[in-house]
Amino acid sequence: MAARQPFTDSDAADEAVRTTCDDATTCKRFATSQGYWKDLHIHYFVRNVGERKAPEINRGYYARVKGVNLLLDEFIKKTECKCQIINLGAGLDTMFWRLKDENLLPQKLFEVDFPAVVAKKIHNIKTKPPLSKPIIDMHSTDSLLLDAHNLDSDRYCIVGADLRDISSLDEKLKKFHLNPELPTLLLSECVLVYMTPSQSSNLVHWAAETFHTAMFINYEQVNMSDRFGQVMIENLQRRQCTLAGVEICQSLDSQKDRFLTTGWDHADALDMMTVYSMLPQQDVARIELLEFLDERELLQQLLQHYCICWASKDKLKMLSILAKIMN
Amino acid sequence: MCVTMGDISDLDRQIEQLRRCELIKENEVKALCAKAREILVEESNVQRVDSPVTVCGDIHGQFYDLKELFRVGGDVPETNYLFMGDFVDRGFYSVETFLLLLALKVILVFGLFFTLYDILSSSHFHSSFDPCLAPQVRYPDRITLIRGNHESRQITQVYGFYDECLRKYGSVTVWRYCTEIFDYLSLSAIIDGKIFCVHGGLSPSIQTLDQIRTIDRKQEVPHDGPMCDLLWSDPEDTTGWGVSPRGAGYLFGSDVVAQFNAANDIHMICRAHQLVMEGYKWHFNETVLTVWSAPNYCYRCGNVAAILELDEHLQREFIIFEAAPQETRGIPSKKPVADYFL
Repeated sequence: MAARQPFTDSDAADEAVRTTCDDATTCKRFATSQGYWKDLHIHYFVRNVGERKAPEINRGYYARVKGVNLLLDEFIKKTECKCQIINLGAGLDTMFWRLKDENLLPQKLFEVDFPAVVAKKIHNIKTKPPLSKPIIDMHSTDSLLLDAHNLDSDRYCIVGADLRDISSLDEKLKKFHLNPELPTLLLSECVLVYMTPSQSSNLVHWAAETFHTAMFINYEQVNMSDRFGQVMIENLQRRQCTLAGVEICQSLDSQKDRFLTTGWDHADALDMMTVYSMLPQQDVARIELLEFLDERELLQQLLQHYCICWASKDKLKMLSILAKIMN
Repeated sequence: MCVTMGDISDLDRQIEQLRRCELIKENEVKALCAKAREILVEESNVQRVDSPVTVCGDIHGQFYDLKELFRVGGDVPETNYLFMGDFVDRGFYSVETFLLLLALKVILVFGLFFTLYDILSSSHFHSSFDPCLAPQVRYPDRITLIRGNHESRQITQVYGFYDECLRKYGSVTVWRYCTEIFDYLSLSAIIDGKIFCVHGGLSPSIQTLDQIRTIDRKQEVPHDGPMCDLLWSDPEDTTGWGVSPRGAGYLFGSDVVAQFNAANDIHMICRAHQLVMEGYKWHFNETVLTVWSAPNYCYRCGNVAAILELDEHLQREFIIFEAAPQETRGIPSKKPVADYFL
């Protein structure tokens, strides 16, 4: 390991991005404690429910989790679990345990994040049997790798890597038996926005080059050229979080173009207010009763500034799946 | 109730503290609320206010933006203010914001009693004074505070004021004192008999101001009925009444307003309650006005704020203002930015 460098601006910026993972997990912890959706494992990563979050924040996380999971689960079902998933910037996501409980585990789930985030996640897994047992149960040999910075088992792999360094990412994933022949779903939530447009384009280009059958789901900001977007940029900058890729978050079209110019056949995108209105309405009605939201404008404004963009290249007829999901 | 010179100097000190956005002690909150209650209990459900007065909408705990409001609108007591509710929730400083407004109201009322008593008695050595000795004298209110839908036990437990009190005082005692005071806040005001001011809007159960005057307001905001509607309703570009998407109150149309204004001989309804990106908004041919006074609402929305200045002839002038500059506001450094999806 290289000698410890003095703490630079860029280190501080990376650290600020790493803490966004804690924010997201804390918000999800609160929302699940209120019953927005079920997550039986998140409390192993964040013990305390913490401070109350505003109802529009809880509903926004609900829309994100439900929207992404709909696409993800449909992909897994369509491929009958003969697929792999790469969660880029997975943070403390509990996807592995949910998919296992729901019998939707892909052949292998890969998660990539900053080494510091990975170390924290692995520490929790190592020290909490309800997290480690399912991983061990799904593993057939003695060769399970579980050290401070890497986890590799038959079905679940966590890798510490910098997503801006493609060759190292590629090398690490291949070391852990990434299979380019399998249909692959790549997922990133509020990750690409912290990379420059060329860095994120390189990443999605690498994905298009590596897999012949793939789908990419990206959740992040959109419609950012208005006053709300400007305030968000300033607020996040104040905590040293630079939205280096905000240029691609100008519109749904600019989000799609990132994929269409890097080797993906199809791309589509919906803002989250639209996604919210397309989610199963019976469950939406249920969660809207959990907490009173008196100012719907606040939810609208927030959700119009986030989107899900998905891209595909393949012989799998992804778009028909997606059309079905989104109807 | 007795008010002493000592009380006044305590209040002065507390106001100085609150103006610096510093908390006052729990027992000081208790005493302040007790004095405020004595004043508020005497107020009508339709509190009479004389022009000139500056009318303000929602503040929502945005303390530094309230200071900005006073900077652009003039300080008290030089400017008379009418605040149309929603002092608390959402912002970081609901406690300081509400207590400052309350303390300013109390000191202006009691301060005026003292001034008058000084003049009448030419004595500077009294140690206590009973305002009830001079009940026949009506003093102009320098600050009128009416109730918004967030001045409620139930709503403050969802939108931040409850948690803020708990965090800042280590118990919910201050929240209890404040919510008890919320029950005493007036429901509406009328300026020079011509401009009706209310937080939300009209109610299908109310046709006249006298009907409002008969409401027993000293209670938690009910889930429905006339008192709830006044605090929750919104104007809508239709006629008649509609179901509110908020889950409380009603949507009211232009014909409803025309009828209400004619029946009560008023020119316009001034209300708050709805975020307006431009700070204020006219409805129904300038018969209803929305005023919004929380700039960059939730530190996120990017809107400007407005206040309405009415001179002694009820001539209108809007002052538009933006959020206080970052250098002048202390955002708690440890407060996570949970206002976005990260």
